[in-house]
Amino acid sequence: MSSKKIRLGGTALAMIGLVWLGVVYWMSFFWVSTEVTQGVAQRIFYVHVPAAWTSFLAFGLAALTSAMYLWLRDERLDRAAVSAAEGGMVFATIMLATGPLWGKIAWGTYWTWEPRLTLTLLLWFIFLGYFLVRSSTENPEKGKRHAAVVAIVGALDIPFIHLSVIWFRSLHPEPVVIKAEGPTLPGDMLATLLMSLGAFTALFLGLFLLRYSLENLRAELDTRSRHASV
Amino acid sequence: MNRNESLCGLLSVITLLVSAITLSAQEISELPGAQLAAQGLGRPYWHVFIAYAIAIGLVFFWVVSIGRRLSQIEKKLGN
Repeated sequence: MSSKKIRLGGTALAMIGLVWLGVVYWMSFFWVSTEVTQGVAQRIFYVHVPAAWTSFLAFGLAALTSAMYLWLRDERLDRAAVSAAEGGMVFATIMLATGPLWGKIAWGTYWTWEPRLTLTLLLWFIFLGYFLVRSSTENPEKGKRHAAVVAIVGALDIPFIHLSVIWFRSLHPEPVVIKAEGPTLPGDMLATLLMSLGAFTALFLGLFLLRYSLENLRAELDTRSRHASV
Repeated sequence: MNRNESLCGLLSVITLLVSAITLSAQEISELPGAQLAAQGLGRPYWHVFIAYAIAIGLVFFWVVSIGRRLSQIEKKLGN
């Protein structure tokens, strides 16, 4: 697929995602019913959970493309990995910023060093390290290889984040959607959550494609500069 | 040691510290009862508004950042 087509597709998907997110905001504020025990603060759920899901998707994609890059040494895979990792950082920051706002109301504290929160912060730091490792070596190829290993190690944290509330005693609520017996949310809340998951995913995929086309242009610029210097 | 290497070192120390805290998280995760009782459920609307503003703000920041970098590279390629 040409770079122009990727960019067009990315722009279209990001636009759809933004409009979709507007609908989700309307649903969250004006349509969905208020939860009985937590009150309006529970509405943070509709941005917090989808941001978490999207960041895990992005970091998972970064790890998968990084592993394939280490195997196949195809530059396009490294470009996809860095694009996904950047998106993952954006959505993980949303998750880590909105969670404490909800926690202050539900638990009485912004932060507590309980397993899920701590492991999520650890994931954020590992992927911050991904970008530092990339740029810390004089040989860019070496930096890319080292960063790919960091991405794979970072993604190994994701299953532990999911399972931490089941394995340990935790303040963080257990999953309400991905359960063996099915979702336990009321219909309107589940609909709003699923809409939000769709909006965040479309937004991420659109911006990921745009970010990937940016990396392609950078590579083209590098090639031209090298040819010009020869 | 360049700046990035120093940052990598600092990050490694933070990561080790966070890992150590994770291992001991079970002992310190329980909040005092009084703190839990002091919850103000349902009142602070501004927490919700800030959360939604952060979400759209960060997405907007990423959109603008990608757009700016794309236009800069296109300019360079044009030259």
